Amino acid sequence: MQPKFVVGASIVCVLTVVGVLSPWLAPYDPGKQTLEAALKAPQWFGGAHFLGTDSLGRDILSRVIYGARVSLLVAFAVVLISGFVGISLGAVSGYFGGRVDFTIQKLVEVVWAFPALLLAITILAFLGQGLFNLIMALVAQRWIQYCRVVRGQALALRGRDFVTATRALGASDQRIIRRHILPNLIQISLVIGTFSMASAIISEASLSFLGLGVPPEIPTWGTMLADSRSYISTAWWLALFPGLCIFLTVLGINLLGDAIRDLLDPRLKRTVKG
Amino acid sequence: MQRRRGTKGDIIAVYLLQRLFGTVPVLLLIALLVFVLLHAAPGDPTTMLLGQETTAADLAEAKRRWGLDQPVHVQYVKFVLAAATGDLGRSFRFSAPVKEVIAERLPATIELAAFSILIAVLCAIPLGVCAGARPNSWIDNVGTSFGLFGISMPNFWLGIMLILLFAGTFHVAPSAGRSTYGIAGPSQTGFYFLDSVMQRNWAALKDAFLHVLMPALALGVNMIGILMRVTRSSVLETATEEYVVTARAKGLAERIVLWRHILSNALIPIITVVGLELGTLLSGSIIVETVFAWPGVGSLLITGVTSRDYPLVTGLVLMYTVAFVTINLIIDALYAFIDPRIRY
Amino acid sequence: MNRRQKLLLAGLTALLLITAQARPAEAQTRVSIGVTETMETYNPYGDSVSLLYGIWCQVMGCLGTYDFDKGDYVGMLAERWEVKDPNTWIFYLRKDIRWHDGSPFTADDVVHSFNRARNDPQSKQTQNIAPIASAAAVDKYTVRFTTKQPTAPLLEYLFDRLIITNKAVYEKYGTEADRKYPIGAGPYKFKELVPGQRFVIAKNPDYPGMKQLTQAPDELIFRVMREDEQRVTALLNGEIQIAQFIPPHLRKRVESDPNAKATTVDSVEIMFLAMQPKPPFDKKEVRQAVCHAIDRDRIITTLLQGLAARLDGPIGPGQYGYDPNLKPKYDYSPDKARKLLAQAGYPNGVDVELQTTVGRYTLDKQLNEAIVQMLNGAGFRAKLLTPEWATLWSNVQAGKTPFYYMGRGSIVDPSVALSQYFETGGSPRIGYSNPKFDKLLATERQTFEPAKRRKVLAEAMSLLTDDAPACFLWRHKMIYGMAKNIDYKPTPSGRIFGEDIRVLR
Repeated sequence: MQPKFVVGASIVCVLTVVGVLSPWLAPYDPGKQTLEAALKAPQWFGGAHFLGTDSLGRDILSRVIYGARVSLLVAFAVVLISGFVGISLGAVSGYFGGRVDFTIQKLVEVVWAFPALLLAITILAFLGQGLFNLIMALVAQRWIQYCRVVRGQALALRGRDFVTATRALGASDQRIIRRHILPNLIQISLVIGTFSMASAIISEASLSFLGLGVPPEIPTWGTMLADSRSYISTAWWLALFPGLCIFLTVLGINLLGDAIRDLLDPRLKRTVKG
Repeated sequence: MQRRRGTKGDIIAVYLLQRLFGTVPVLLLIALLVFVLLHAAPGDPTTMLLGQETTAADLAEAKRRWGLDQPVHVQYVKFVLAAATGDLGRSFRFSAPVKEVIAERLPATIELAAFSILIAVLCAIPLGVCAGARPNSWIDNVGTSFGLFGISMPNFWLGIMLILLFAGTFHVAPSAGRSTYGIAGPSQTGFYFLDSVMQRNWAALKDAFLHVLMPALALGVNMIGILMRVTRSSVLETATEEYVVTARAKGLAERIVLWRHILSNALIPIITVVGLELGTLLSGSIIVETVFAWPGVGSLLITGVTSRDYPLVTGLVLMYTVAFVTINLIIDALYAFIDPRIRY
Repeated sequence: MNRRQKLLLAGLTALLLITAQARPAEAQTRVSIGVTETMETYNPYGDSVSLLYGIWCQVMGCLGTYDFDKGDYVGMLAERWEVKDPNTWIFYLRKDIRWHDGSPFTADDVVHSFNRARNDPQSKQTQNIAPIASAAAVDKYTVRFTTKQPTAPLLEYLFDRLIITNKAVYEKYGTEADRKYPIGAGPYKFKELVPGQRFVIAKNPDYPGMKQLTQAPDELIFRVMREDEQRVTALLNGEIQIAQFIPPHLRKRVESDPNAKATTVDSVEIMFLAMQPKPPFDKKEVRQAVCHAIDRDRIITTLLQGLAARLDGPIGPGQYGYDPNLKPKYDYSPDKARKLLAQAGYPNGVDVELQTTVGRYTLDKQLNEAIVQMLNGAGFRAKLLTPEWATLWSNVQAGKTPFYYMGRGSIVDPSVALSQYFETGGSPRIGYSNPKFDKLLATERQTFEPAKRRKVLAEAMSLLTDDAPACFLWRHKMIYGMAKNIDYKPTPSGRIFGEDIRVLR
């Protein structure tokens, strides 16, 4: 096993476990306010609040633990859904070219040019504030990225000798896409996927910055970061811990992504084997 | 050989023309979508722009005055007919023609985007190539961590951090705006860098540079991450191709193999991502522009959306569409030139 | 490789050295102000943002303003005014005012301004002149306004709201005038406007009395800075001399700097929780329970660090019609709240959804998170929602939001605001209706004698507090950060006038 895989997998596993088990792990109710105990600095060596408290006197450790749950859920859901939509459309678009490509690319242009903010505002204004609606608002814009990149790769692939050869041997389009095009798109998709997981978490923060995030009763790393922004100079711990969690998540997911890609890559394997 | 390349050029030209004409329905569709969504979202310009003292009668009167009492489809048709003659209407918030408002703000965003891209490309591509050439080396690990750090931070947050650091601690850059009052002469082009060079006003050039530095960093650092990773992965992938192995076998210097053979072939995904990011920069600089009071189209969009300025938002989205379609076209054209195997 | 690195290092050092150089000293005094609202239009009638009313008022001109020190309205372009009969107001203009191009300022300009505020297609200020039926010039320096019905608080509508612009310039250049010929008559002159970034105005020495104000800044620059940390940093960095609206927790950062200080001022914006009389708030007991459930004092001392004044009625001290003998009606008592809920038929609690803005008012999100927790501790099952401002505001205006946190600013004379939120047919924002209250308001509007009017107003407000269609919470104390060499007393309305600022040398 590569060390990358071990490190990445353990980070992701730990975070997932923390997210799932948060009600049992958190020392306090994450919503419990004690106004008199607001903005307490971290108490590393014994003390009620290991990572300090926020502006309402809520325990930051508990909020970070509960935040794992929602932030990871948002990140995975957004990446999986938008990845599925984007990769399928991109592969089809690039492989077939012509009219199919034209139509799909038109759709891409429409959505791409459309301000994500406006889309999010309308979706949330209609469906109401909530976790699922937030995920939908993020997906609505995010599949574009996969679609564009995958299409570029697919365009390049379909001109390759091995694809031409397979087609000459009478393989169906569906089979070619599934057996020859998609596996070659995995690398780049993984890179984008691991990245957009981070940006999904961040986007949630940006929407909170505009007041469009999840309802305030649900603690997320993104909202914690957005709420901390006028406290950076006076209460650094408000921003540091959720920020650190996001960084760790991103790091873990990327390491894991790298490792998986190395495992899957047919050519890399070939060279390794000699 | 010569003839075959000629045909390929023709095919590309026809393809590009097709794409350009294809833009018209896209524009119509987008305008319709914006119209429907904007009108469907709660609120209209009258509720957002008249003060809190306003009575229902004032609102109704303003609606009538601004033609908002007509059905949406009538408004849409009116808009399309006017737009066909090049008239995008008047912004409610700015009390000025939409075209003028956008034209005035566009250079600021282009300047900012150019700087961010520059910062990102200059940092990310060398880092990515080095990391890809020597996977799992220290340079790979450091570069990767830096890249991941860049994308882990929301840019509004990064912006505030930069303000605290550069303006607060080091006192090197101003905390907001695009220029200091009283330094630059009258703007001729709208691009402050160009202006100050044309007017040989070096103080203004420095001033413009200092102002663009922080917002460009806030946007660029976010981009470094993804660009570096894509470069790395693309280089890694290309490095195992037969022709690279052949080039190496021929005894070419490793540096030449890396920069000439590998990088040029690894460019497709990189260019795609740069293009994508350029698009994101045009519209995605919304938050950074707002934080830094950067008078560009991003902050314009947020002003437009939050005040439900229908003509302004529609105009902006149409502008974005044209810009994105153009970027897309350029990317596709670049593909064809970089990788001769691509056909359309 | 090594040489390249060295060059790079040298370049970076040079860059740092260049940028670290001190800014040149200037003979003229220049005061920059970090503000939170943006300015987007050259048209003085094209926006209705509080900050811009103040700027246009000193650049173009306005009839008068409210002097919070005197506690009364004072004239600016108008010398004095009188109410001829309940529907006729006469304003006598100053005769020594000239436009910045030298032409005399006359009654025709005022009439033109009234017409433009009403008829300019881009006007966002029709509401300020809504009570007025017509305006006419009686002679060169006298203007007559005829109201649609007796409106005692007319000055609240007009003063520092009706912007006076130049008739001749407008007739010559049309709407082009705003951008190309911004000629005003005020104590400051238009210098530069970069929409979304800054507004620069310069002292007009020809305005009566301005020459004597030697310490008033020669140039005022309003700079848009939305982020709290940004305004404080810019202040400490010397980029701006006055920073508007600093949140309570950043006050210490300002005060700890040797070159800066913080000043507070009681805002005239009242903060309240509005409750539409629909289930469950159709029951007076439920509304009163909300008021009893919130420990305002605790919120003020903790979250707001003492930088707010509790409201025991719609308005507080310093606002017109405030009754100094007012007894607080709603003490903090979860038990009373529970009892009231039980009386209303909700012994097991009741679900409510509170909506709030984010980042529009001081600490709005945090304050409401605290409020929700307190409601939950007193028998409610409350949930907090934070919709985008435009969505929230238009839903409020359409009467679609049952329970929300809101501020109503610029209340000097509460009459207009009370009518708007609480009079039957005033607006759908709350949809409250009480014939007794309506009658009191109608009486108050037709009472021109101040003492009597105050009494009627106080009675109306006491009725409102008891019936509780809204729970009045507090008025924030706004913190302004300032450089040590600036002497300025911020106004409760948030208007910033250059004449009030002194630059100490």
